[in-house]
Order: sequence, then C-alpha cells, then structure tokens
Amino acid sequence: MKGLKKGLMAVVVAVLAFGMTGVARSAEPIKVGVLLPLTGSMAKFGEIEKRSFEMALDEINAKGGVNGKKIELLFEDDTGKPDVGRSAMEKLISRDKVPVITGGYASSVVAATAPVAQQFKVPFVICTGSADDVTEKGYDYVFRVNPPASEYPNAVLSFLRTVAKVKTAAILYENTQFGQSSSKAFEKDCASVGIKVLVKEGYQAGAIDFKPVLTKVKAANPDMIYMVSYVMDASLLMRQSKELRINPKLFIGGGAGFTLPEFARSAGDAADGVYSATLWVDTLPFPGAREYAAKFRKKYGSETEYHGAEAYASMYVVADALKRAKSLTPKDVRNALAATNMKTAFGPVKFVSYGKKTQQNKLDTYMVQWQKGVLEAVWPKSVATKKYIYPTPHWDKRK
Amino acid sequence: MDVFLQTVVAGVLKGGLYTLIGIGMTLIMGVMGIINLAHGQLMMLAMYVTFVLNTMGVDPYVSLFVAMPLLFLLGVVIQKFLLNPLIKVETILPENQVLMTVGIGMVLTEIARFVFSSDYKYITTDYSNRTFYLGKISFSVALTIAFGIALVFTAAMFWFLLKTDLGRSIRATAQDKDAATLMGVNTGRITVITFGLGSGLVAAAGCLLAPVYYIFPDIGGPFTAKAFIITILGGLGSTVGAIFGGVTLGLAESLGATYLGMEYEDIVGLTIFILVLLFLPGGFKRLTKV
Amino acid sequence: MKKNLLPLVLLAVLALLPLAVKSNYFLHLMILFLLWVVIGSSWNVLAGFTGQVSFGHAAFFGVGAYTAGLLFQHLQLSPWWGMALGGFVAVLIGLPFGAICFPLRGAYFALASLALGEGIRHVATIAENFTGGMMGIMIMPTFISKVPYYYIALALAVLSVLSIRLVIGAKPGYYFVSIREDQDAAASLGINTTLYKNISLSISAFWTGMAGALYMNYMGFIDPNVVFSLHDYSVMAILVAIVGGVGTIYGPTVGAFIMVAFQEFFRTGFFGLFEYLGEKTGSTAISALGGAVQQAHVLGFGILVIVVILFLPNGVVGDWEKIKRNVFRINQAG
Repeated sequence: MKGLKKGLMAVVVAVLAFGMTGVARSAEPIKVGVLLPLTGSMAKFGEIEKRSFEMALDEINAKGGVNGKKIELLFEDDTGKPDVGRSAMEKLISRDKVPVITGGYASSVVAATAPVAQQFKVPFVICTGSADDVTEKGYDYVFRVNPPASEYPNAVLSFLRTVAKVKTAAILYENTQFGQSSSKAFEKDCASVGIKVLVKEGYQAGAIDFKPVLTKVKAANPDMIYMVSYVMDASLLMRQSKELRINPKLFIGGGAGFTLPEFARSAGDAADGVYSATLWVDTLPFPGAREYAAKFRKKYGSETEYHGAEAYASMYVVADALKRAKSLTPKDVRNALAATNMKTAFGPVKFVSYGKKTQQNKLDTYMVQWQKGVLEAVWPKSVATKKYIYPTPHWDKRK
Repeated sequence: MDVFLQTVVAGVLKGGLYTLIGIGMTLIMGVMGIINLAHGQLMMLAMYVTFVLNTMGVDPYVSLFVAMPLLFLLGVVIQKFLLNPLIKVETILPENQVLMTVGIGMVLTEIARFVFSSDYKYITTDYSNRTFYLGKISFSVALTIAFGIALVFTAAMFWFLLKTDLGRSIRATAQDKDAATLMGVNTGRITVITFGLGSGLVAAAGCLLAPVYYIFPDIGGPFTAKAFIITILGGLGSTVGAIFGGVTLGLAESLGATYLGMEYEDIVGLTIFILVLLFLPGGFKRLTKV
Repeated sequence: MKKNLLPLVLLAVLALLPLAVKSNYFLHLMILFLLWVVIGSSWNVLAGFTGQVSFGHAAFFGVGAYTAGLLFQHLQLSPWWGMALGGFVAVLIGLPFGAICFPLRGAYFALASLALGEGIRHVATIAENFTGGMMGIMIMPTFISKVPYYYIALALAVLSVLSIRLVIGAKPGYYFVSIREDQDAAASLGINTTLYKNISLSISAFWTGMAGALYMNYMGFIDPNVVFSLHDYSVMAILVAIVGGVGTIYGPTVGAFIMVAFQEFFRTGFFGLFEYLGEKTGSTAISALGGAVQQAHVLGFGILVIVVILFLPNGVVGDWEKIKRNVFRINQAG
C-alpha cells in the first residue's frame, strides 16, 4: 500500500514536471533516430535488429559514449509500410531533430524515406533495405552498409560457376519490391553464366498452395530452383516440394526468409540441404563477429543472423562518425560518414562509388546450407564451416 | 497429363477447405442477408485456439471440439450484443450491420496481435508433410482428411436444415423473415443461433488449416474474401452450393496458377466472382434449386 | 448566414494555421487530415447520399496516384500534371466500374465493388512493365516546405466539400437521396436512376482521384499495396464517413479529424506522456503500458467504430442532437 502511494506521488510529480519546459539535464545525450518495422508482418526482423542496435548501444555507452556524451536511440515503428515510414522519418527529423538516422528494413520503406532524408539534408545510414536504385540516385545524404539486392547472389553465382555448373533453373519469387527486383537481377545473372531459365513465376506473399506452380516446375525439371521468399512462404515452398518429390540438384533461397531459424523449424526435414544466399555468418573472420553472435545468444536466448549483424555494425558506423564529426550538425555528421573507413563485425565499411552507385558499402556475400538443422557456411571455401552437400539427395533416398 | 491431374487434385483438395470456410458464410448471408466481413477473422481466432492447445500437446483434430464450441459462443455474443441491436435502429444506410462486422474484424485482428504479436506461429504435426500416392499423383494427407471432414459437415448441415425443427425454422427465416415471425418463429433467436453455427463451422476450417499453413493476426482478410466468393458462387444459404462454390474456386485458382501463372491466381477468383454476380445471380443454387 | 458561420470560421482558422504553426510534423498531420476530408467526403456522395455502399474506393485513389506517377515515369512530365488529369482518369475507370456494379443492389453492390478494387490492385502488381510493379514509383517532392502542400490540400478539401454541397443542395442531390431511399420508387417517378448513379459515382471518383494525385506528389512514393490497399483506403474511407456521419455534408470532415487525431494520439503513446512518466518515475510498468498503447492505435480506432455504430448510428454529426441532449442530461444529473 505504501509502495503504491509512493508510486502515485512519483507519477503526480512527474506529471507536474511534464508541463514545465526546459528540465535541466547534465550532458544531453546525442539522439539518433532508428527506423524499423516493430509491428506488422516484418516485425520478426525488426525485433532482431532492434535488439542488435541496443546491444551495440550498451557497449558504446559503457565505454563512455562518444566524446563524453552518451548516445540515445529513438526507435520509430514504420510497420513495414512506406507511408508510415515517411511520417516516422519526418517526425525524427523535424520534431526530434536528430543529426543522423539509421535502420531502414523493408526495401519499399527505404525507397520512400531516403528522398526525405536527402531533402531535409539529414544523413540516413541504411542497414538493410536493399532496393538497388536507392543508392543510384546520387543522394549525398544516403549511405548504405549492406550490399544492394542485385549483389546478394554473388556467392551463389560463383558456386554455380565453379562447382555446380547447372544448365537450367526455375525462379520463384514473391511479388514485393525485394522479390521482383532480385528475381530480375538473378535472371540476368543466369544469362551471363549460361543458365537457361525454364520457369519464372511471381506469387502473392501468403499463398496457401504452391502445388500448381511446383507441379509446373517439376514438369520442366530444372537443375536448380531459386526462390525469393519470406520465412513462411519459404517453409511452405519446401514442404510442398517435398510432398511433390521435386528433385533438382539444388534448392537455393535468395536471402531473407531462408536464413531464419523459424524457417528450419517450421519446414522440418524439408529444409535440409537447402542453400541460401546470405550476407554474413558468425564464423567470418571479422573482429567481433563471433562475440556478437555469442552475446546475442546469451542475452536473448535466440539465434541472430545477417540482419542482426547489419544493425549491430550500423550502430558502430554511426557512433564512429559522430566521434569524428566536427560538430553534431547533420552536415558535419554527413561529412564524417563519407570518410568512414572501419572494420565492423559485419565486415569492413567504406562508402564508395562504383557503377551507378554512390556511397554504397561494397561487401562480399556468402552461401550457407541447412545441414541437419544447422545453418553452415559452405561457400566461398575460405569461410566454410562444413563442406557443401551437392547435389541435394533425392527425397526418396533420405532417411 | 500428370501436370493436369496433379493440378486438379491440388485444386479439389484446397476446395474442401474452402467449402468449410464458405459454408458458415452462406448460412449467415442466407439467413440474415448480411455479409459477415469478420468471417476470416473468426477463422483466425480458431487457428490461434488450435495453436495454443497444440503447445499443450493437443492434436489439431482434437482441438476441433474445443474451437468450434468456443467460436459458436463468440458468434452468439457478437450477433446478440453487436448486430441484433442494430436492426431496431433507424439509420440512413441499411448496411450498418455489414460495417459493424468490419469494425469487429479490425478489433479481433488487433486483439490477436496484442496477445500473440505479429510473429508467425506454426503447428507441426507428423502428418503436416505426409503424402500418399495414387499413380504419380501426390495427395497431402492433412488436406485429404480436411476434405473428408468438410463433406461430413456439409452432409450434416444439409440434414440438419432439412429434417430438424430448428433447421426448418432457420430455412423459414431465410426465405421470409416476416412470415416466419408470424408463424411463431423467434427470428431473433434464430439469427443468434445461425451466426453461432456459422462461426463454429469456420472454426472447423481454422483447425484443419492450421497444420498445413501458418498463423498470424492479418490472416483473416483474404479468407473473408474467399468466403464470400464461395457463397456467391454456390448461392446464398445453400450447403450443397458451398461445396460447389468451394471446389470451383479451388479448381479455378489451381488451374489459373498452372496455366496462366501463379500471380493470376487471385484475379481468376475475382473474375469468376464478378461474372457470376452479373450473369448468374443466385449462383449454383439457381440451377439446381437445392 | 448563421448556418455557414461555423464552416467559415473553421476555414479562416485553417487558412491562417501555417502562419502560427511552424512544426513540419504538425503540418504533415494536417495534410493527412485534409486528404481524408476529400476521400471521406467523396465516398459519402456515392454511399451516404446515393445509397451505393462502395468497398472499392481505393481503386479511384490508386488510379489518381498512378496517373501522376506514370506520367512522370513514362513521359517525364511533372507529376503535377497528375493533379490536372488524375481526377478525370479516375472517372474513366469509374464508368466501367459503375456499369458492372450498378445493376446490383445492397450487399451485392458492396461485394462487387470490393472485388473490383482488389482486382485493380492485382493488375497493378502484375503489370510490372507498365506500373513498375512492387518496385513502385519514386519521385522527388517539389517543395521541401510543407506549406505549399498544405494549401493545395486545403484548396482540394474546400473545393470538394463545396462542390459536393452545391450538388447535394440542387436537383441532382434530391435525385441521389430519392435513389437511396427507394430506387424503384425513384425510377417510377421518371428519374433516370442509372444516369444519376453514374453522376454520383463520377463526382465521387473524381475527387478521390485528385486526392490520390496529391498523395503521389506529396509522399513521393507509391506502390500497389500502398495506394490500392483495401484496408487502408477502401475500408478507412467508409469508417471515416461512418464515425463522422453518413449522409451529412460535414460528417466526413469531422470523421477525418477524429481518425487522424486518434491514430496519432495512440501511435505516439499519448504524445509521449507514458514514455515520459516511465522515465521520470523509473517505473517499467508505465513504460510497458506506453508501449502497449502505441501498438493499440488500430485497436482503439476499431473499438471507436463499434461504439459509434452501436450508439451513434448516424455518426457524430448526424447524431449531434442526441449527443447534446445526453451530455446536457449528464450535466443536469451532476
């Protein structure tokens, strides 16, 4: 009872203080805006990234923050929708007046919010959103830590060139920005490697029954099936491929859903042997990569994957720029970001121009394979934790 | 040929599930003349019930016996306290009941989000992935069972509506509400029971869908759309029509996906729906009078 | 004159608002509010006054937005041309829409319109080569400041409400209402019901399309799921009108205000009050409660809709007398 009264008093005092302006605080923290889908259908990834941001933040602040100031993260929920993301972005810029914004998960949200950042001249450090054209518009306030969607399958392609040497492929993709753009890019890649695309089909995310399209794929009998899907569609695709006994030499996922632990858990043994493009694995020889994964596991009791590493690294990139910036104005922070050259748990970060792209971090990509419920790095050989199993065994011959 | 047969099998099996989803809607629309735009959301709740029971080790088929009564009760409450009061009120638009179901659907979705978060939930049973083969054609065990159960429920509903007193009262209310009232039918009670039955039936669909699909709060909307397409195809209030509508939709989607492309799946359904609305109002029921 | 006083005062306040309020964030909310005034009022013409409850208004909104976006994408024309054309293209889409739906009545009309709205969304997604598919269309907004957009939105809102008011007060308006009340009786009196339903639809589609074109210009990004969204536009348009008052001139305006305010109020956790309290008192419970409230904005609005339909079936404006009476009674009792 006494505790309750005390609590009530505290609330009353706080309410009174809420009305007063200019509450004095010692050493105002530096506010950094983070745009993430915390609710909605992409919240699963949003959560992994939020936790990773917070882990990095705690580490940075525990070491004294940036130039004696602590960093404070303002998370804004974009719900995975471009219009909501835009409102959130504007709130961060005009109401919270943050000098730099990071995060950015869904491709469509990033495509819609990057012009806002550019227009208001506040630097935006994208950690995940992969639509290619975002860094092709010459925006000088937009930086991207992760590779663009068209580069995700680079390691897959090198594997196809050197090991698998397949002749034909089927491409299935969800009708989203990520799905449409990366399937288009992969089709072009196939042409350059000399692979003939027999079937290329889009689908509405959330379909119940993939059997008709899989039947068609089975009849075409391609050497490999490349799929761009989020986690549950990925799981259904594999389960139904197993039901129909489709036996290509490899099943490859184009990132996104195929690397999540939920995929393997819900697809069960149908997930075994499935390859996926990925941007990161914790066995990479980057400083802090293993430690980050171990710490995440310990703190949250669940596995992290490449999205988390992107977020974790982006926090360090932002902190590093804030440390080097002449002042905390968006312009100086932008200039500091442009000069970034550091090593992170996600890989080296340096914003460069190549091709049509500007201020884009250039990174290698990797290929992983689910082997007995564990995600193993298999390609390139230099980072492999296990040897790849190729070709994928026939469904009938599995135990 | 194999491609065609496999496509047909996939479509028909999916049609079984669709039948169960549509049969509840056809009852509600037939008796009350309102579209229940919260139908898919009711199914979503049943899927979560199945999920929760499954975490306690209950098989989805057993949870049928829990989810159906629960959703029956929820349906009764919705009709009694949220929809029936609207009949008496004088309003500009007679569609207020339909709009109310939109609000209800929204609230159900958000409550589910609140309790279970937006995360995908899934149920894996040992029959989730199991298949059997007839020749080269694969049949999903779970969907085949669902198809059988759908047939049983449809037959039971058919018998119930034709042979029991309550069933006759429901049919009388559907045909002419005022006349039924004059003949001594308590139509208020009938609407409550009908909405309950409709909800219970879609709950069955939820339980059967859960092991082969996955669960998240926004799952309801697309299934609501499928439910009214099935209802219009089959004809309002017709249980046999629901089978026809369900299987037709399932087949059309599958054939569309195989021969036009998977992205046309939904457009095929919507096109058939509009064609039936325009050229065969009354649906399948009008052709057979069942 | 007295009848017009309140709207005129409101208009004056809105016109002067940017002089007093400098916050971009606040202006952004006001622009959203004005957009919703246009969309809600347009829906109201067709449904509230003519009795044709449409569940497919996202089709017109999306077509307006895509008109602006595609002109830019394919012809490099300024998306502002969309403001000139968006409304008309929406009417062009509206006419076949009407031809399909108008033979149907009541719930069947609603279902057909819903199916058409969804159909258009799928088409826009699949026709990748023409619409860009889910890659969407991205433009660089013309103005950095919110003020020009605010005034354009205000002009659009005022023009749409005013034109609707004029039409409703004149002969077509009476025909609309007679169709709503009893279509067969209206037809037997010699009213060409098909013609007037199409006129009503055209007005409705035109303004919704204009709102869509402004959306493209203002937001700078569209994709099919955003602008053809069943939930975010078709259904929301209905709810906005219902909360405010179906079949009243200013109902949708009130509904739009309530919807935007409500949504933002919840989304920010009562403007950060909970977060602040949690921080000040160090109570994690309050912070958690604040987090829950932030996620509950759709839930809150859904409950509001149910309550309004149950207790104010004609909306806030339509049942204003009832509200006044009840509030008065409470005062007496107290």
